[in-house]
This record gives sequence, structure tokens and C-alpha cells, in this order.
Amino acid sequence: MLTFFAKRLGWSVFTVLLATVLVFSAIQSLPGDAATQLLGQNATPSAVATMRQQLGLDEPPVSRFFTWLGSALHGDFGNSLVGGGSVAREVGSALVNTSLLAGITIVIGILLSLVLGLVAGLTRDRWPDISISTLALVGMSVPEFVVATVLVLLFSIYIPIFPAVVIAGQNASLADLLPSVWLPAAALICVLAAYIIRMMRTSVIDVMESEFVRTAILKGNSTSRVVFKHLLPSAMLPTLNVIAMNIAWLVGGVVVVESIFNYPGIGTLMIRSVQTRDLPTILLITVMSALTYVVCNLLADFAAFLLNPRLRYPRSSK
Amino acid sequence: MDSRIEAPTGWLSRRTLLAGSALLLAPAVLAACGVSPSSSTTGAASGAARQGGTLRIARPPASKAETLDPASSLSAYEYLGALYNRLVKLSAKGELIPDLAESWTLSADAMSWTFVLRKGVTWHDGKPFTAQDVIFSIQHILDPATKSPQAGVLSPFVDGNSIKAPDATTVVFALKSPNAEFASLLTGYNCYIIPAGSAATIGASGIGTGPFKLKSFTAAGPGSIVRNPNYFGDKPALDGIEFSSIADTQARVNALLAGQVDLVAQTNLDFATAKTVSASSVATVSSVKNAQWYPVPMLNTSPEFKDPDIRRAFAHAYNPDEVFKLAVQGNGTVAHNNPVPPSEAYYLDYGLGYDPDKSKALLKAKGFDHFDVPIYTSSYDPVLSPLALALQSSMKAANINLAVTNSPADSYFTDVWMKKPLMTTYWYTGRPIDQLLNQIFRTGSSYNETAYSNATFDQTLDAARATVDAAKRKTLYQDAQKILIDDGGSLTPFFSDRITGLSKQVVNYSEHGFEFDYINIGLRA
Repeated sequence: MLTFFAKRLGWSVFTVLLATVLVFSAIQSLPGDAATQLLGQNATPSAVATMRQQLGLDEPPVSRFFTWLGSALHGDFGNSLVGGGSVAREVGSALVNTSLLAGITIVIGILLSLVLGLVAGLTRDRWPDISISTLALVGMSVPEFVVATVLVLLFSIYIPIFPAVVIAGQNASLADLLPSVWLPAAALICVLAAYIIRMMRTSVIDVMESEFVRTAILKGNSTSRVVFKHLLPSAMLPTLNVIAMNIAWLVGGVVVVESIFNYPGIGTLMIRSVQTRDLPTILLITVMSALTYVVCNLLADFAAFLLNPRLRYPRSSK
Repeated sequence: MDSRIEAPTGWLSRRTLLAGSALLLAPAVLAACGVSPSSSTTGAASGAARQGGTLRIARPPASKAETLDPASSLSAYEYLGALYNRLVKLSAKGELIPDLAESWTLSADAMSWTFVLRKGVTWHDGKPFTAQDVIFSIQHILDPATKSPQAGVLSPFVDGNSIKAPDATTVVFALKSPNAEFASLLTGYNCYIIPAGSAATIGASGIGTGPFKLKSFTAAGPGSIVRNPNYFGDKPALDGIEFSSIADTQARVNALLAGQVDLVAQTNLDFATAKTVSASSVATVSSVKNAQWYPVPMLNTSPEFKDPDIRRAFAHAYNPDEVFKLAVQGNGTVAHNNPVPPSEAYYLDYGLGYDPDKSKALLKAKGFDHFDVPIYTSSYDPVLSPLALALQSSMKAANINLAVTNSPADSYFTDVWMKKPLMTTYWYTGRPIDQLLNQIFRTGSSYNETAYSNATFDQTLDAARATVDAAKRKTLYQDAQKILIDDGGSLTPFFSDRITGLSKQVVNYSEHGFEFDYINIGLRA
């Protein structure tokens, strides 16, 4: 058991490292660098050369990567090539804003989709199931930027309940963000929930067919007792992985949605940093995203372990 | 990176806009708003503004390195005209008018310019404005450490030591070479005057002499300005302006439609979006006449375009009316390959027109039955791709095959501009003619996007600069235009109006070139 988790942990560290290598190489292969992007079209070659020197971009890429890695391992992620401020502070403040958005999305999204998936599974092929499944299919097939645009049209422009964009910038307070967070969260929930609903429905149907649930029903247990005690723990198992995958996916979805709502989070910062080739910022965001991904997966494994009796009580090998 | 004002540099992520598949003709959009295309800005409501109120402007941020230093290429453009003044500015007709300078004279040999400054002007911090501030501001632009785009424009004529102040209200520029148009170079938006000794602080302090004072500013974030009660000119109608930074074009428009902002700055709406905005109950569109110049630079140093006959073949190869209609729905002015806008006082009504047979004959003489070249474009501006596609279809008849190649917007101006043989680009119009011709077509100049080099053209510009007699000078600038056009130096199909979106509550919005009227703009009474 312990070896299993140690192995998983090792892979996780490797995954994060690999992500930074890939992203570093990808940004290197993009045309231009922070110096050309900053100085723009009126840059004389000598100004670009001076700036490259100032920013340390004249070093060979491999040595720059290892320099960055060395500092990063000591917790120093350097300064932005563009604004000059501490990358950790800037990414940190964006991360707080994104956490608010992601937190609302995850809590509401998961509760909503588990309930809807359960209802769909229990009412298989009847009207609640058909309408929920249809909605989930729509949610799966429509890209988040379309959902976001339609939401803005409906709830900011036709019926002006929510703001269309966040006006306050990177330093927005909770009070600034709270009215604005709901539409982007709704857009993310639409896509996030679709997959979880589908998975939950399938597992509920599977578990309902299983012998132990039938036995529990035949024993005369109340429906609620059957659902909560017998059905849910087993049905949740395969769904956990999908939830973990979807939370990891949020990192990507958040980029598109934040940009549409001008939401001052990680996504907006990422787009701006890629445009300005601000490597230190991009690399820290990469580390954060990769960490989110592996931690979600680790947690899913761990929860699966807790929920699965066969994993908890491994047969003693006689 | 104030890219879309200088040559653009691709900071902003723009969603690919389907301007080419516009749903209706722009004139219809504007007609719907009761527009008669006469003045430079049409469509905006005029009339009595109420005294006071706060205008909310959404602007595309430059970058985290954004600054309020007007000399910098990273200046936050929308703040500049509100916070600062120049010595002189341009009227809508392109004439020089006083700003911080009351009057100016030039010597008979065009080697010396004397500016008499306004008296009693104070900075936002209460200090008096003097000639020393003017000297410092120009020196700051010329300082290589500032990396100002305007340094290359001014340095052929002045250096840090050639500006003198005989007294507190007089500034004398002793030029290195004659220039009877020198004052027009000081209308550039990098030439706002800042307090002496403020090089290190101006980027954050924003202390100027202008109609508004800085209240707050965050690079690539929100900021606000308030009315300056001690302003020397007419008092602004507004109490203040709040700026927000919104990178995504569609998000800026959404903010306008949702009533969160009153004006979207530096945003050229594609026609589909313009239709949406003009149909809205809270917002409308306004059009700035010929605000954008869309050249198609042929790189003279490339093997494809080093021969002027090939360039001329290209100039005759397309039907400007057709391209104009396809790319911008006839919303602007056809240019016939003259880069000088027709509103310019020294404009020469001349160009190379549509003649596919002549084009084919020119190519044939050079041994080409057909001519194939890629034309680069990007989603940077909604007109670029429709323009490339329109040229592609229009040039087929002259046996010219353009392969339209899309390039990422964020590296378009570092990777394609001045590097690929043929591409689409755009500029804001509003540069004085001397700056336009010298900065973009003179041998070796910083923005020479075609790498054009013609000694006769350069000498004609020098002669024009040295001519004090206005009528003779006009003739020389017109000669220069003819040389450039005949030499295939410019491929300019049209100038396009810029369609911008604003709230129906806004009155007296007016913009031309790089001049924005911060005084009269206000909210409906």
C-alpha cells in the first residue's frame, strides 16, 4: 500500500518537472522573446541586445532553465521580465482570485452534478433522465466560450442582473469580485457538470443492477437508506476519477472563461504572460497547474482507496 | 505597448473577427444612427453636456510595463492627452494650433524656431511651468535610455544642447538642418511636456499641465483622473474619467452593452459587432473618418519586390473599388496607392489606378507569365484578413497569385512586419505629412516598413523642409508623393473609418488622428 503511494508520488514529481520542461521549450520555440515583445516594433537591434542582457536572455536556454530550476527548488521563482515585480506575489494574487472562481465552480458544480446524475440514474429512461441527459450532452458539446457569451447576453445585457466583465484589475477585492464571479462560474459549471453527470448516471445504473443493492432492497430497507448507505459509496468510486480529471481540466477552461469576463485570475495572467513571453510567470503558472493536476489525481486515488472495501482490506495472502 | 497607435505590435489577443462576412454595409449602420459623413467624427451625439459626471472608458492595456511617461513606447495612451499638454497640437484640418506655446516663429533659413510660452500655467503639483520644463522634456525624448519612438524623428534636427531658454517663457530650437515643418513634429503623442527632472518619477506620478489630474493608476489595470481646477484652457465638462483595462475586444464590447463602461477606446469594431452595438438600447456607434490607413508593404529588399516594375505591376493589378467594398464595405476612402490621407493640406490627388493589362505587360517584360507570392495577415485587426482575401481575388485577373498566410497576432509585428515580402498592416492616420513621409518612406528610417530607399525622394523631402515659402513647400511635398507612387513605393488600397462604440449617454465625443477632445466630452444633460 505504502509502496503504491510512494510510486504515485514519484510519478507526480516527475510529471510536474516534465510539464515545466515542455512549457519552457514551447515558449522558447515561439517567435520573439520578452525583449522583442516589450520593445515592440520600434526596437533597434542594439536596444533589443541590451534588453536581452538586462533580462539575462542572452544565456543559452538550457543553462537558463537549470538556473531557474535551481532557484525554484529553493522556493525562489524570480521576478517578472515585464513588470519586474515578484512572480510569486503576482501569481499568488491571481491564484487567490481564481481559487474563488474555481471553489464556487467545484462546490456547486459537483453537488449539482452528483444530484442530477443520481436522479438520472434512478429514473432511467423516464422523463427526468431524458431531460438531464440531453442537457448534459448539450453541455458537453458546446464550447465554454459560447456558453459564456450566451450567459453574458442573457444575464448582463438582456436582463442586467450580473456584470458582463470585471472592471477592477488584478488587485480586485472580494467585494469587487463577488457580484462578477457567478457568470464565469456558471459557464465553467455547464461544461464541468456534463461529464460528471454522465459518469454518475452510468455508475448509478450499474450499481442498481448489482446483487448487493438488490439484496438491500429485498431486505425491505427504505429507498433513502439504500441510496445513501449502499448505492452512493459504490457509485461514487468511478465518478471520483472523472471529478478529479475535470477539476484538473478547469485549469484550462479557466483561461478561456477568465479572458471573456476579464476576470483577474491565473487564466488572464497566463494569456498576458505568453503574449509578452514572460517566462518566469509562465513557469510558475505551469508548476501550479501541474501541481493541481497531480494533487487532484492523488486525492482521487486516495479517496478511491477509502471508499473501496477491497482496497482497504486487502486479502491476506495465505 | 501602445501598438495600435504606432505600428501595431500585437499585444492583444483578438478573437478572429469575421469582418469579411459582415452582415450589412457599414454606412447602413451609421445611417441607422443618423450619421452624415461630414466631420471627422460622426455618429456621436452632440449638444449640451451636463456639468460634472464621471465617464467610464475601457481600454486595451499595453502590458505590465505600462507607464505614464509620454515619451515611452509603453505609455498608457488614453491618459496622455488628459494629463499633459504639448507645445502645439493639430486641428481637425491638420493645422498647427497653440497648446503650451502661444505663438512660434521660424527664421528665414528654417534653421531656428522660437516658441513663446503661455504665462501663468502651473503643474498639477502647483509648481509654475517654465521653459526649463520644455527643454527637459525634449532632452528626455532624445535620451537613448528612454527608448522613445520619437527620438528618431527629432534627432536629425535637435540634440540635447541645441535647445535654449533666453527667459522663462521663451524656448529657442537651433536646428542641425533646416526644417520649415519642425513644429509639426512636436505634435506627436510622445511629445507631451513633463516637469523638469521628472524622468524617474513621471511614469507613476502623471504630473502634467493638462485638464485632468491623476487620482490613481495601475499598470495594465484600472485608474482614474479628476478635473484640474487650475487648467489654463476651457474647463472640462466632466468631473472625472475612470479607466479600466480590458484586453479582450469582445469583453470590452460586452462591458459597453452591459452598461459597465461608456466608451471603448482603441477599438475598431468589425461590422457584425458594430451592428450589434447600434441595435443596443444603451449604446451606439460612432465613426472617425479615415482614421485608419491600411497599407500593404512590399519589402523592397526582398527578391520579389526589389524591382520597381514588379511593384508597379502590383499597384496596377487590383481594382481598388472592389477591394475597398469587399474589405471595409466602402467605409472610408479609396486611396489609389497614395499613403497621404486626402484630408491632409498637402495631399496630391494622384495615384496608380487599376490596369490589369498594364500589370501583365510589366510582369511579362520581366519574364513572368504569372507571379506567385505569399501575403501574410493576422487576426490583429478585423480588416487585415478581409483585405488580404480581397487583394487575392482582385489580382487573379493580372495573373498574380497571392497565397494568404495567417500568422499569430502576438508576434505579427516582431516576426512578419519588415521581414516578409508582402503583408497587410495598418496605422492610425494623423501624423503630419513631413513625419509620415520621412518616418515611413525615408531611407533607413525607423518605421520604413517597405525598406524603401530612393535618393531623389529623400532629397525632395530635404528641399521641402528647407523651404520657408509655404506654397513652394507644398509643391515639393506633392513632388515627393508623386515620386513615391510612381516608384511603386506604396501599395495603399484605402483609408478606413474607425467605428467605435459608446454609450447613448455620451455627448460631444470627438477624435481625429491622435487628438481626443477631453474638454467637451460629457454626459447627457
